[in-house]
Amino acid sequence: MMNSLVQAILLGGYYALIACGLAFMFQVMRIINLAHGSLAILSAYLVWEITDALALSPFISVLMILPIMAIIGLLLQRVILERATKGGELLPVLTTFGLAIVIDNLLFQQFGANTRSLSPYLGDLSWESYEVFGLWIGKLPVIVLITAIVIIGGLDLILRFTPLGRQIRATAFDPDTAGLVGIDARKIAGISAAIAMMTVAISGTALGLRGTFDAYAGGPQLLFAFEATIIGGASSLWGVFMGGIILAIAQSIGALIHPQGFLLGGHFMFLIFLFARIYFNRDVFSLKHWLSKRNEKENAA
Amino acid sequence: MLSVSNLDVRYGQFRAVQGVSMNIDQGDIVSLIGANGAGKSTLLRAIAGALPIHSGRVSFKQHDVTTTSSSALVKQGLSLVPEGRRLFADMTVEENLLLGTTVKRSGDWSIERIFATFPNLVKRRHAKTGNLSGGEQQATAIGRALMSNPDCLILDEVSLGLSPLVVDQVYASIDSLKDAGTTILLVEQDLERAIRFSHRAICMLEGKIVLDKLTNDTNKEEITHAYFGLQQSKHQEASQ
Repeated sequence: MMNSLVQAILLGGYYALIACGLAFMFQVMRIINLAHGSLAILSAYLVWEITDALALSPFISVLMILPIMAIIGLLLQRVILERATKGGELLPVLTTFGLAIVIDNLLFQQFGANTRSLSPYLGDLSWESYEVFGLWIGKLPVIVLITAIVIIGGLDLILRFTPLGRQIRATAFDPDTAGLVGIDARKIAGISAAIAMMTVAISGTALGLRGTFDAYAGGPQLLFAFEATIIGGASSLWGVFMGGIILAIAQSIGALIHPQGFLLGGHFMFLIFLFARIYFNRDVFSLKHWLSKRNEKENAA
Repeated sequence: MLSVSNLDVRYGQFRAVQGVSMNIDQGDIVSLIGANGAGKSTLLRAIAGALPIHSGRVSFKQHDVTTTSSSALVKQGLSLVPEGRRLFADMTVEENLLLGTTVKRSGDWSIERIFATFPNLVKRRHAKTGNLSGGEQQATAIGRALMSNPDCLILDEVSLGLSPLVVDQVYASIDSLKDAGTTILLVEQDLERAIRFSHRAICMLEGKIVLDKLTNDTNKEEITHAYFGLQQSKHQEASQ
């Protein structure tokens, strides 16, 4: 039981990693990018190609594809999303859905149906573990979890305290007025898409390191990212982090109940949160809300 | 400084601004007057690049800026304080003000000087602007525009929703801009204040300019007539 909980939290780190880019794009540009998972698989293949061709460590290859994915993000914004958003809220969803199908099939055509993994390039790291209180904790999942914390923390700090972050928040809040203040909304959207794609590159790599992927693995990744985002609430990146962990715990509980309950457990939790978010005041989900409530009680006493 | 010729702005079929022309020189203080729906805000937003222009030309500092984006115009020194403040409500006063420095124009304005000009903001520095009073919000909105060190400041509905006392404070602070040589174009519903404060009054009616005179050459009565469209033809001649 304890073991599944720990493993679930580590898996949740991966979900948080893949969800943060989706949530970031939704927060800043009000776009749900349905090609998110496919782009993650694309970057996993890119890392695999570079690692294989140049005989590098995957950790170095991912650094090399970060700028590539950033440029892909910029192009995605300029060529597709910018035009799609002019056509209303539904059009970006349809466009990115189409893009996902195109990417999936191009990957299938190029790489075929074989599953691939980055773990053979890791050497011992792919199975090395720490032993903590009788539990075996894989080094790699710990690295992924720490990466998720660093990336989400970094994005959060950028959004809060840097001029770029302020401009991103202002553009998200009111693009018209942001322009009147002197913010180039187009530039900000491009930068945001580039940042989101860099997180996608890292999450795609994490997927490849943890296990296997194939050309059509994008769909499930998008689903996990989407569920984690909804559970955590799209308004805060730390919320999304918690969402990823809650999703993974729910899946593990599902798997404990029934061998095939892994995905069902996640979906069930997703639906509970979805309906709860629809029917309850949003404050119910905020930690601050409960803390202040407790303070009030203490003060009253 | 700012020149508008034959400007047409439309919302679909509706011509909100029709063939408007005006010239504003460096250092001018101009009041734009007119009833609700006369097209004042539309005109100002179109000048500032926040609305597409159907036909006509806008030039700023001898450069054509008809199709220039609002953010590029701020960079060139033209700032609009929009109607209804339009602050970023989930950010603090300080963050809103810092956003004004996005274009990095050099000049005298700094956060400290904004707080010196609007002392009522000092205590609210780290408060979310969504929780401020109307006067504090207006001060933040003006401060945010000033942080870009504009050569031409456009203020839409300066005193809307503010108590008379706060309006006095706001005007006192804009007054200090006059001496700095900043060109000011503002919308004011209080005629007496408009006449007292500005060098020139422009009155709009149904999308057109019906009066454009130095405030010394006109009076409250004449502007009131133009405002309501009485003796319209005579005033149009007078404005030529």
